[in-house]
Amino acid sequence: MTNILATKISRRAALGAGLATAGVLAMPTILRAQDRSIKVGVYGGYFKDSFDKHIFPGFTEATGIAVESIAEPTGEAWLVQLEQAARAGQAPADLSMMSQVAMLKGQATELWTPIDTARMKNAGNLLDQFVNKYPDGRVAGIGAVAWYITLVTNTDVYKDAPESWTALWDEANKDKIGLLALVSNSFLLEVTAKTFFGGTNALDTEEGQIKVFEKLAEVRPNVRLWYRDEAQFEQALKSGEIPMGQYYHDVTGLAAADGQPVRSTFPKEGGILDSGCWALSRASKKVDEAHEFIDYMCQPQIQAELSRKVGTAPTIRRDLLDLADEEFAAVSSEIDPIIPRYDLYTSKADWLNQKWTEMIAG
Amino acid sequence: MRREPPRSLADYAPIAFPAIMLLVFFVIPFSTMIAVSFFRRDPAGFYSRDFIFDNYERFLSAFFGGVLSFSIMLAIVVAIICVILAFPFTWLLSQASRRVQIVWLVAILSVLSLSEVIIGFAWTTLFSRTAGLTNILVWLGLMSEPHALMPNFGAVLTGMVYQALPYTILVLYPAIVRLDPTLMEAARTLGSSPLRSFFNVIVPAMRSTITATLIMVFVFALGSYLLPQMLGRPQHWTLSVLITDQAIYQSNMPFAAAMAVFLVLMSLAFVGLTLLVGARKGAEA
Amino acid sequence: MSGLQLQDLTKRFGSVNAVASVNLSVPQGTFVCLLGPSGCGKTTLLRMIAGLEEPTEGAIVLDNKDMTGVPTHQRDFGMVFQSLALFPHLNVGENIAYPLRIRGVDKAEQKRRVEELLELVRLPGLADRPVAKLSGGQRQRVAIARALALRPKLFLLDEPLSALDAKLREAMQVELRQLQQSLGITTIVVTHDQREAMTMADLVVVMGEGRIRQAASPIQVYRKPSDAFVADFIGMTNLLPLKGNGDLLGRSFPSLGMAVGPRGGHLSVRPEDIRLVSPDQGTLTGTVTFVRDLGGTIETFVDVEGTSIVAVTTPRERTPYVAGDNVGIHLPVESCVVLKG
Repeated sequence: MTNILATKISRRAALGAGLATAGVLAMPTILRAQDRSIKVGVYGGYFKDSFDKHIFPGFTEATGIAVESIAEPTGEAWLVQLEQAARAGQAPADLSMMSQVAMLKGQATELWTPIDTARMKNAGNLLDQFVNKYPDGRVAGIGAVAWYITLVTNTDVYKDAPESWTALWDEANKDKIGLLALVSNSFLLEVTAKTFFGGTNALDTEEGQIKVFEKLAEVRPNVRLWYRDEAQFEQALKSGEIPMGQYYHDVTGLAAADGQPVRSTFPKEGGILDSGCWALSRASKKVDEAHEFIDYMCQPQIQAELSRKVGTAPTIRRDLLDLADEEFAAVSSEIDPIIPRYDLYTSKADWLNQKWTEMIAG
Repeated sequence: MRREPPRSLADYAPIAFPAIMLLVFFVIPFSTMIAVSFFRRDPAGFYSRDFIFDNYERFLSAFFGGVLSFSIMLAIVVAIICVILAFPFTWLLSQASRRVQIVWLVAILSVLSLSEVIIGFAWTTLFSRTAGLTNILVWLGLMSEPHALMPNFGAVLTGMVYQALPYTILVLYPAIVRLDPTLMEAARTLGSSPLRSFFNVIVPAMRSTITATLIMVFVFALGSYLLPQMLGRPQHWTLSVLITDQAIYQSNMPFAAAMAVFLVLMSLAFVGLTLLVGARKGAEA
Repeated sequence: MSGLQLQDLTKRFGSVNAVASVNLSVPQGTFVCLLGPSGCGKTTLLRMIAGLEEPTEGAIVLDNKDMTGVPTHQRDFGMVFQSLALFPHLNVGENIAYPLRIRGVDKAEQKRRVEELLELVRLPGLADRPVAKLSGGQRQRVAIARALALRPKLFLLDEPLSALDAKLREAMQVELRQLQQSLGITTIVVTHDQREAMTMADLVVVMGEGRIRQAASPIQVYRKPSDAFVADFIGMTNLLPLKGNGDLLGRSFPSLGMAVGPRGGHLSVRPEDIRLVSPDQGTLTGTVTFVRDLGGTIETFVDVEGTSIVAVTTPRERTPYVAGDNVGIHLPVESCVVLKG
């Protein structure tokens, strides 16, 4: 749901977002000078900086639409702000980058203006999982950025890369593993379901979920650290203190390129693919501009640019991209990914959270 | 100085500032928290105004009871260890020369300026297998190979005591410095050795200060949520950790608020109990 | 020899001599007052005797036993502090019983002894009273009782009465002296109040700048001060400049010149020894500048050659002079002390 690059500076980002919002609400006329403009909310910090530098100027040049980028906090605080502003007919941002769970929660209140894919010539490029739809089939959002969480290891401790998520259950790895601490950001239920129960469909029923929990509970003796703070695990992984775990593919790749003894492996069951969507607030009047923007973002050369410059996985088909194999492998994989069951985190959030907390603390 | 009862509104002016501060920084946030704890959680959204007891009901389970007891037990143990370590230390410090005292106090203040995150990272390194303290023992030949000293309860306790100790010393320091130095001398002239005098005169004479310090460190330790995460296993996570999870990661403000209210009530109850016991002992003496 | 001997006792703090080679012999049962202005080293000297300060040099000997290196808690000296240092967490009885408890005296004996001591300091039946609920004088007595609980060989008091008001202080001085005499205990009291010293002491030790200036009986110290410092510190006195050639305020007295020596000094005369006479009859003559009639006594200030001389008389002797009167001053030879330097 959140990316390390965004969360590392989340405090600053949250503050920035607050200021930016206040500024926008107070001075709505400042953008009149430009004929056409759009306000785009991006995760504050690394993402916003990268987009400001590599993406937005090109868009303005190509379309003549000025972009005002707004740093939005991660988590669900931005959703709440958008929702409350929309009730008052305001849009602190026209388009926002939203996590999948936030997308679903926004759907519940019809917060997102449906996107008309027919108006975008590049819409056909998108991979299916990056088109977020209302239950009735209307498109609520289009994939903006994606990233993988994979199986990472310290190369000094593990000479050979593990092949499967089952390594987490291997008794040989007792007290050697670091995993994310929350049910809603580790996606380990999905990993367990895919690895041992044939797929994430095993999570459809409560009995299925309980079975998965029971299986997952078996990893507990192997887990040295359940982390919330990415830096803590990253440090321990590099030093070999905690030589195995789940972590972000892109950051691990950067660390390896820096000469750190770490590697990221796509297990044969697939990496966990998490993503953010572009979603249009129902209070926004910039529907045309938003479509233009999303269409622009779906072009193969822009997607390739994002992969190279920002390090995110493409949201469109591989064959359209001019990425070299190496460049592609740095951000993605052709192995069928594990797609998180975001629906569960809205419909059964509290129950899953309770079960999860009891499971790891038990 | 004769004290006149305040007659006009202006006479109350001097207390207006503290009263406003109290209102703005304590009464309003705390009331808001209590109100939110009765709101209805909307899993698909945020929360809506309501008056329901669901959040408290959810908390009343063996699991949360266990976490609450653990948190309180941890805070009590930290408070006791801190006072046991800090009291003799502060006493010795108060006997030292002015210069030595200043050097120590500056050092202690600088430790106090470290954030919980920095303390956590420092101890994770010290307790690690790859770069930790056991490497020194291996180097000295006292150990055959380095071990990780975490995650476990001892590591959590060490980190939290380290964090709270400077605070404890600074709370004790003014009271101990003000203590009549002749009390100890009197005990010695009455035939009591210095060590004995310390325990049967200084410690009992400072009883109320010690009680107050225990309470303050207890409350301080109760709020800790990073160190248990960084140095402990999930069973060592405090209620503060779960409150943070609910508030920040699950957007479940009503439940987080209910847990926080519970935590505040329990700590108030403990503070009250401590004071009651202290008062009874005082009456007996 | 029984009693307390201080031999060359010295205490240096850095380069400052707080106490400089003090030699003193105190016979058993003597009441000693260490008297002097603040900072004269009297408290430091007392604290060394108690063992609370370590002497830089010298020895403390009690009944022929060297106590210099003995830790405080093994000295068996009772001490009363200026702050009294009553233990706030203990009540009156427990405070007094504290030294007994430390020694492992059994409970019944403790109780008996506490009652006895309370009787001694005239506070019977107050054993269960919290210390905080005592008056100043009562606290004083409790501190004394506690210090005496172990029947110490030496009883030390550091400005014990300074916190009391003037009336109570005078009463306590008498009481303390009577208590000491009935117990026959060697007692050393530090005070800066010369009246207190005169009231209580067998031996007054006047200290200045870390040294003993004079150690003698109170009357001797008053009548025969050994130097100008002592004469000035003890009571009211007239210190008249005396030159080596016998010149005293413009008049020549060759015999005084012989006594004071070539470098000159002072002539000390107590105000009550001076008689005011008619101008032609006096040893000196001068002009009355101010008269203070206190009812019981009259202080007459006379200017002689720029030096102010005060004489104390009683109303019965004569009617007061008024400012501007010319008077003669008669200095009785037997009351005058010649002080060198």
